[in-house]
Parts: sequence; C-alpha cells; structure tokens
Amino acid sequence: MVTQAVQRWIVALSFSAVLVMGASGARAADVVTTTGMIADVAANIAGECLSVEPLMGPGIDPHLYETRPSDIPLLRNADAILYNGFNLEGQLGKVLARMAESRPTVAVGPESMKDDDLIKGAGGYAVDPHLWMDASLWARIVPTVADVLVRVAPDCESGIRSRAANYRQQLLTLDEWVSASAASVPEQQRILVTAHDAFRYFGLGYGIEVVGIQGISTDSEAAIADIRSVVDRVVSRNVPAIFVESTISRRTVETVVDGARDRGHDLTIGGELYSDAMGARGTPEGTYIGMIRHNTRTIVESLGGSVESWPGSLPSFAGSGRSNAAE
Amino acid sequence: MQAFLNDPMAMILLTGALVATSGALLGTFLVLQRQSMLSDAISHSIVFGIVVVWLLTHAQSGPLQIAGAALTGVLTVFLTEMVARTRRVKRDAAIGLVFPALFAAGVLLLNLYARDIHIDSHTVLLGEIGFVWLDTMPLAGLEIPQAVVWMTVATLVNLGFVLACYKELKLASFDWQLAAALGLAPTLMFYLLLGLTSVTAVAAFDAVGAVLFIAFVIVPPATAYLLTDRLSLMLLLAVLVGVASTLCGYPLAVRLDVSIGGTMASMTGVFLVLAFVLSPRYGVLGHWLNRRVKYSG
Repeated sequence: MVTQAVQRWIVALSFSAVLVMGASGARAADVVTTTGMIADVAANIAGECLSVEPLMGPGIDPHLYETRPSDIPLLRNADAILYNGFNLEGQLGKVLARMAESRPTVAVGPESMKDDDLIKGAGGYAVDPHLWMDASLWARIVPTVADVLVRVAPDCESGIRSRAANYRQQLLTLDEWVSASAASVPEQQRILVTAHDAFRYFGLGYGIEVVGIQGISTDSEAAIADIRSVVDRVVSRNVPAIFVESTISRRTVETVVDGARDRGHDLTIGGELYSDAMGARGTPEGTYIGMIRHNTRTIVESLGGSVESWPGSLPSFAGSGRSNAAE
Repeated sequence: MQAFLNDPMAMILLTGALVATSGALLGTFLVLQRQSMLSDAISHSIVFGIVVVWLLTHAQSGPLQIAGAALTGVLTVFLTEMVARTRRVKRDAAIGLVFPALFAAGVLLLNLYARDIHIDSHTVLLGEIGFVWLDTMPLAGLEIPQAVVWMTVATLVNLGFVLACYKELKLASFDWQLAAALGLAPTLMFYLLLGLTSVTAVAAFDAVGAVLFIAFVIVPPATAYLLTDRLSLMLLLAVLVGVASTLCGYPLAVRLDVSIGGTMASMTGVFLVLAFVLSPRYGVLGHWLNRRVKYSG
C-alpha cells in the first residue's frame, strides 16, 4: 500500500518535472556516436538518409565526459550507437554494453583495426584509443560505419556505399597530404611535445617523434620528473615549439616553456591542437578533415616545415564550412 | 509495476531519494559527532583499495573492486581512530592525516605499476545517476535497477540501525563519557556507524558517484541542525531535505541540460542557505529581527 502511494507520488512528480522542463532542446537522432570525430564520418556517409548526433560536443574530453539529461533520450531512442572503444569512453563502458543488448552498438576502433596497427601500453593491457590522429587508420572505420548504417537503413544501401567509398578516398588523400607535409620538417626537429599522449598514432603514421608530458589518462597530472625529462629533450634537440590541446589546460605546457627558457632555450607555444574533440560546429575545425588539416598545419609550420598545397578533391573550407553548418 | 521500473525518470528520482535517505540517516549522527568529513575521506582513500585489488586480481571493475573499496573505507576509519586515540593529534587532524596517506599510496602504486592502464576511481566507482535505469537485475520476477536494489538494502539497514540503537547513538553523540559510564558502548556505536557509512558510501559511489553522496551525507543534516534542537526531528528533516533536493534537482538539470548529480547536490546547498537565512531560531534574519525587537522595545 505504502509503496504504491509512494510510487504514484513519484510518477506524479515525474510528470510535473516533464511539464517544468517544457520544450527545453531535446536532442534526437537515428545514429548516436560518442565523439564528434565518429559523428562526422557517419554524417558524411549517411547523407540525407539518417541523422547523426554525437554525445560529446566540441571541447569535451571523452575521459571526463559527464552525462547530461538530454543524453538519456538521445541514447534510448537511437537506432544504432557508434563508439570509439579501447576504453576511450571509460565510464560509459557499462552503459554501452547494456545498449548493445537492444540495438546495434559498435566499437569502431576494435571492429576496424588490425592488431598490428595498434599502439599498446606496457604489459599489453591498454591500447592507445586515439586512432583518429592517423587519417589512414581513420579511413578504416569508414566501411565499419557504413555497415552499421546499412543495417539501420537498408533502403539507402547504394547511397551509403557510394558516399562511403567517396569519403574513404578523401581520407586517403588527406593522409597523403599530411605525410608529404610532415616530411617537409627538418629531420632533427620532427618532435612533437604535447600535454598528454594523444598524438602517438600521428607520430607513428607520419614519422614524427611524440613526447607526451603526462600519461594517457587526463586524470593524472604530470610528475616533476616527466617535465624535467621533456625539458632536457627539447633543449638538446633544439625544438622550436611545443603544443597545447583544446581539451587540456595550458598550465602543464607552460611549465615546460618556462623550464626551457630558464636554460636559455627559446621555446614557443606552437598553437592549439585538437586532440580528443573537434572544434566548434560550423567552423572548418568542426569537421574531421578540417581538424586534421588544422593540426597538421600548426605542427608543421611551428616546427619549421611548410605544408603542401591543399588537394582540390578535399573540401576547400572556403566560406562558412559545409554540411555541419546546419545546426 | 514493471512500467514504473522501466521509466528512467522515476528510477533516477527513486535512486536519488534512496541515497538521500540512507545518507541523511547516518549523516545526522556524523554531523553531530563532528565526523562528517570522514565520508569525503573515504571517497579519496578508496583509490588505494582499487589499486591494490587491481594489482592482486587485474580486475578493473566488478564485485571484487567494490568489496576492496568498502574494506579500504573501514580501514580509513580504523586508522583514523588509531591516530586519534594517541591523543597527540585532534580527530579532524587524524582524518586529514590518514586519507591523504592512503590516497597518496594509491596514486604512487598507480604510477609505479599501472602507469599505462586506465584505472582510477572513476572506472570503478563512477556511478552516473542518469543511467541507473539501465543496469537492471532480475528480482521477484521484475527487472529492477541494481542501484535501486542496493540503495534500498542500504537504506533499510541504516534505518534498522538507527531505530535499534537510537538511545545509544543519541547519548554517544551528545555525552560520550556518560554513554561509556552507562555501559552503552559509544566506541562500538562509533565503529558501527562508520562501518555502515563506508559500505553505504561505496554502494552509493557505484550508483550515483562520490560527490553527490558526500553532499547528501553532510548538507541535509547540517540544514536540519539549523532548524531544530530535537534529534528525532533533525533526522526526519534531514531526510526530507535530501529527498526534496533530489526532486527539485532533477527538473532543474533537465531544464538547464547539465549534470543531474551536480544539480541535486547544488539543491542541498540551496536548502542550507535558505535555512541559514530563514530558520526561525538560528537564522540570520531571525537573529537580526530579534535584536531589533529587543533594542527598540
């Protein structure tokens, strides 16, 4: 009896809560992704057929993502869910596992990569999840994403397949452009110092040595020894610039700059890189291709190289961006 | 009934109300005994338990991790008492000595042996109240969210403890020496209280996350403390303030589209400020009016 009364009371309150919230911007989409990088791939392949929405918007670090109320109906009503995997969405792991019971829920990383492609941590436990940093690797998720989209919208199959082939080709062209641009940096200066280890695939793919000041998780802070050893390398290799990331505070990076200046080495901050999230929607950096273009330009130019001319087959980003401008 | 259990909003509110109730029941005595910060200490020191369990079993989450965390909570309480018993430091300082030591040991072990592994208190104990409806278990023919099941158990155990030991707890909170002289075992009561806090904390961290639980343990009892001098009424008011914070916090979170746990915790603060200003006897406003009446008359 009592529990029923309590029940009724809670349900009544729930409904009043709905009334109070009124028309606050409910988000809905056919396909929900965790990161913006996956959403951009899916949106490019889906065309007009399916709507795509990421849980984590611009500037949100997946390691530290917090659930918002609008995420709940978004996930619940999704026809399919795409996520990165390899523990990038750490705290969402349980949620995604439960979602997999009721709809296609695919970890695009583990599903698309070959074992040899992966960078593994000590002991073989952790796999570096930042796969999007290498455009040739990210091109591999395109067929995986296309398969999922076809499962959700079989009627659109031919369109999805042709857009997927086209987009995959764009990513491979992008990959060549990054490779050629990175090769223009003088060999001794091909060293990329950033706050956390998000760029190891970039380094491996494009022949640049990567030094992260703190470990994989954005939770832990850099130890003094880490900072000192980074300063040593920067000074001895005469590195002109180090970089900050959009999702991480500048402080750690500035500590290294100060340390190098104390030793008479003029180190500049080479600019902001997009690591775990893309830029604002409607800007070039709000797309995957634009994000990689921005990172490559920033890195190559700060380290003393010069980028190749931008391939004509890729979006030119003239004007106000492309499809994503519709927000 | 199953429809009710499948409704995310109802489950979020029910879980919040259960965490608020179980927290306020214990928190009232913790606040009165000036031990409320132990709930915060436990939330930090369990990192140590998490790392140790990982080193022993390589389990990144699951029941073993929960058990390890609960044991570390009890260890925190025990060590704090040991340090405080020496009488060389005060009890609040003892809390401050023990939990950073355990937390630091946990971080050190993590850095030494698990540098490349993504484990931290988040992966084990980051409950997210927004998703409690998702993780269900079968019970009595129904699919019930695990958080609701475990928080119901915690609430009932805590309620049973408070009802059964009400006299002992009351005297231990207000007059420790007298309680000891009367053979009411205040030390035993203290350990039971903190043992239950530790276990409830771990269950609640798993269900709703650490900060929300700490807020529910400390703020509603502190609010109730401003409103009444009677222990029984303080318990009741603390529970009511906690539940009210849940019910007001959720719609606010939806409206602003921000963290649900965050707004619920913020609402406890709003109630505290209201009590602080408006409480008839202890409120700032009441004081000011009283003084004016006194001096102008």
